[in-house]
Parts: sequence; structure tokens; C-alpha cells
Amino acid sequence: MVSAAVAFRGRLHDPRTATVVGRWLGAALLVCFVTGVISHLLQEQPDWLLGRLPTRPVWGYRLTQGLHVATGIAAVPLLLAKLWTVYPRLFQRPAVRSWRHALERLSVGVLVAATLLELFLGLLNIAQWYVWPFSFRQVHWALAWVLVGALLLHVAVKAPQIGAHWRRRRPQPEGADPDERDRRSLLLGVAAATGAVTVVTAGQTLPLLRPLAWLAPRHPDHGSQGLPVNRTAAAARITPEMLRGWRLDVDGPRPFSLTLAELGGLPQSRAVLPITCVEGWSASALWEGVRLGELLERAGAPSGAAVRVVSLQQGGAFRTSVIGPGHARDPLTLLALRINGGVLNADHGYPARVISANRPGVLQTKWVTRLEVLA
Amino acid sequence: MSGVRALRAGLGAVGCLLMAVGGWFLLVDARPGTAVPVALWLAGAVLLHDFALVPLVLAAGWVLYRLPGAGRWRGLWRAALITAGSLTLVAAPVLLRPTPANPSLLPLDYPRNWALLMVLLAAFAVAVPLAAGPAGALGRRLRKGRS
Repeated sequence: MVSAAVAFRGRLHDPRTATVVGRWLGAALLVCFVTGVISHLLQEQPDWLLGRLPTRPVWGYRLTQGLHVATGIAAVPLLLAKLWTVYPRLFQRPAVRSWRHALERLSVGVLVAATLLELFLGLLNIAQWYVWPFSFRQVHWALAWVLVGALLLHVAVKAPQIGAHWRRRRPQPEGADPDERDRRSLLLGVAAATGAVTVVTAGQTLPLLRPLAWLAPRHPDHGSQGLPVNRTAAAARITPEMLRGWRLDVDGPRPFSLTLAELGGLPQSRAVLPITCVEGWSASALWEGVRLGELLERAGAPSGAAVRVVSLQQGGAFRTSVIGPGHARDPLTLLALRINGGVLNADHGYPARVISANRPGVLQTKWVTRLEVLA
Repeated sequence: MSGVRALRAGLGAVGCLLMAVGGWFLLVDARPGTAVPVALWLAGAVLLHDFALVPLVLAAGWVLYRLPGAGRWRGLWRAALITAGSLTLVAAPVLLRPTPANPSLLPLDYPRNWALLMVLLAAFAVAVPLAAGPAGALGRRLRKGRS
């Protein structure tokens, strides 16, 4: 029994409304969490996973990361609506009744804080706006676990109420339950808001909604050579001196080195592959270059070997990246020299960049200068 | 312990475990000096919600209840306000972030797009009552059908 210091006139701050909005929110956060863990694993490529990373479907990461950002954005109105249904609890007196009550309020506090901050971090990250004094990647990862843990605990604690209000009470004639009509209207409003925020942002990765991507931080149609750019050549501090006299060094049992002209003289392959950024946008392009597998064979790399790719890029977490054996031998994995019919420009990784299927954009290393076969 | 209670206890235990895992990532695995700023930002997020957003929402609700004709169209206007508010929050980063050096980041005219969305919502919120009200065509047809 909540005795509110402030009288709430509306009757929809009730368990039924909280349960219905809560399950939408829970579903969104769960999908967000799972797709987030997938994204983390695909970027980190831990040793136990490196040999098993799937190369198909080509659009796999596009789907999971698109879902991750979409559910994260959808969770914003859902979270705020859910919090609205429990506004009276903000004002409840006494604030703490017992140790158990205090613990419960603390765990809810952790859940609310973690979810609010996590969504905030994600929302600003897709606009690449880092206003906080800590690492986005580390904190976003850590808070995700805190959030999910607190969510499961919350569900466990509230299980009886959730169960009691999961189904609508026995259907009654409309007039007998005025709350039901008002509740339906409110839920429709929340659904409309959730749909709206999704529709105006999902177009940055979902081609169908591209014309409506009015508030998306990226737009697949806006970028040089038909593709948006994440890290520019300037940001990577690539200078013309670095590019003059560029050679591709391949280190392996039979090391060799190639100039750009020699690389261009090798048999070229083509692939249509998307770049899928962790920030949730993606765009497809036609890539042309040398199959990585052929370069590795020439270097005498064993068939199960992984490859380290080194970039001319100065600094940054992905200056070097590792390509697992599956992707290294995949015929779709290219050391690309051309994009959409033209030579790669500086921002897109001139003179050569890696492009492969079903991988996060950060691993599609640009300004490649060396390949090292790993034992 | 009955099956359901055991399940609840198990779920709660898993929840606590996962929270501890997150705490480990934050305190041990992350760069040193991460935990304190994060704790402050967590508190800040809650304070911002409770002391900035909540009063705003309560005020909007209070106004909504006192608008003329609110009885019939309150649901629609409430939906329009929730949608407008949500769109504005989601748009806030792209609206407020200083122009980036990379032209393919934030390439669209966001203030215009956001304003357009607000206008569309407002137009919708006004047009429907006009069409279905006593003077509106839809209202007349509804009344004709009923008599």
C-alpha cells in the first residue's frame, strides 16, 4: 500500500499497465543485450572463438547490429513509459520501511540508473559524441551485465505481480471498466512513440526505411564514393609521405612484397559486401581487389592459419586486426583496391583495405600496409 | 520449496551473479579510475530523470487534463505528446552535437527534420478532432449513420 505525498489522479500507475509496458521493455532490452554480446565477441575475437567465426550469412552482423541499435533506441520511450507507471513510488513515504525494503529499492535503483545511463551512452555513441570521461566500450559492456542482472532480479522479485497481471482480467463490457479503455489508449500512444523513433532511425541500416531516416546520425546515401566514412584519413593521421613508395609486405613462411602496380596486376576478384559499423549503420558496395586467400597461399600460409593485418593508421584500438582462418580463406574476403567502380580514395583506405563478410566495420582495416601470417 | 519459488530464487540468484560480473568488468577489467566517474554518471542519470523529466511530464499531464475538449481527445493528444517527446529525446544528440569534421557523420538537416516531425504531429492532433468534431465531415457522417 503506497501512501503518496503527492496525489496521483490518473489510475494508470497500476500493476497491469506496468506489466504490459514492462514486458515490451524487457523484450527490447533482452534482444539488445544478446545482440550486444554478439557484437562484442565479433569485435574482440577471443582466441576460443577465432577459429569458429562464421563467414555466412554475409548480412549476419548487419542484422544483429541493426537490431541492437534499433532495440536500444526503441527502449527509450519504453523505459520512460515504464518509469511513468511507477512515478507514485518516487514519492512513497516512508522511503524505507525495513532492511529488505531498502535492499529492494536499492536493486531497483541500480536497474533504473544502469538502464538510463546505458541507453544514454548508446544514443550519444551513434552520433559519435563522447561527453564522458571514461571508455565507452568498456563501460557500455560492463553496464550491460549490471543491467541484465538487475533486470532478472527485478523480474524474480516482482514475479507474483507480473503473473497476476499478465493477462487482462475477465473481459467486461467497456462501460464497466473505464480504466481498460484509457489503458489501451495509453499503450497505443506508447506503441506509436516507439514505432516513430524506430522508423526515423532504422533507415541507416535497413534499406526499406532509408527514405524515412530523418533523425539517423548516418545515412547510407551520404558519403564519398557511395559509402559513408567512419574514420577519415585525417583522423587516422595518414600523410602523403606514408603513401609514397607504399608496398604491401606479406610475412609468412615465404615472405614477399608488392607495389600497388604489382598488386593491381594480380587476378582481381569482385564482391558485393556491406560495411556494417558498430554504430548501427550499414551500406553495401561493390569491392574489387585481390583475394586474401591467394596472397596467403603465395606466402605459404598453412590452411588453418590466422592473419594479422597492420594499418598505416596512427593509434586507435583497431590499428591492427586479426582475421581468423575461416575468413582468411573465404573467397569473399578481399584486399580491396577499388570501390563502386573507382579507385579507393584516402578516406576509404587507399591504397588497400580489407573487406570480408559478416564482420564489424572496425575489423575491415583500412590503409593496409602489412599482412602477417600467424602460426 | 515449491517449484515456482525455487525458480524465482534461482532467477534472482542469476541476476545477482550477472550484476557481480558487470561490477567486476567495471572495477577490475576496465581502465583504473573508471568506477568513480561511472558511479557519478549513474547517479546523475537518475537525478536528471527524477528532477528534470518527471516534473516536465507531470506538468504536461496537468495541462492536458485542463484543455477544453480534453475529455474526448485526451488520449490522442497524450499519444501525440508522448511521440513528440520521444522523438525529441532521440533527436537531441544529433541536434545538439557540434558539427563534426567528418561530412558523412550527421549529414542531414536535423533541425529541419525534427521541426517537420513536430509540425506533422501537431497537424495530426488538430486535424482529427476537426474532422470528427460536430462541425467536421466525419462527425456529420457518424451522426447521420447513428440516427
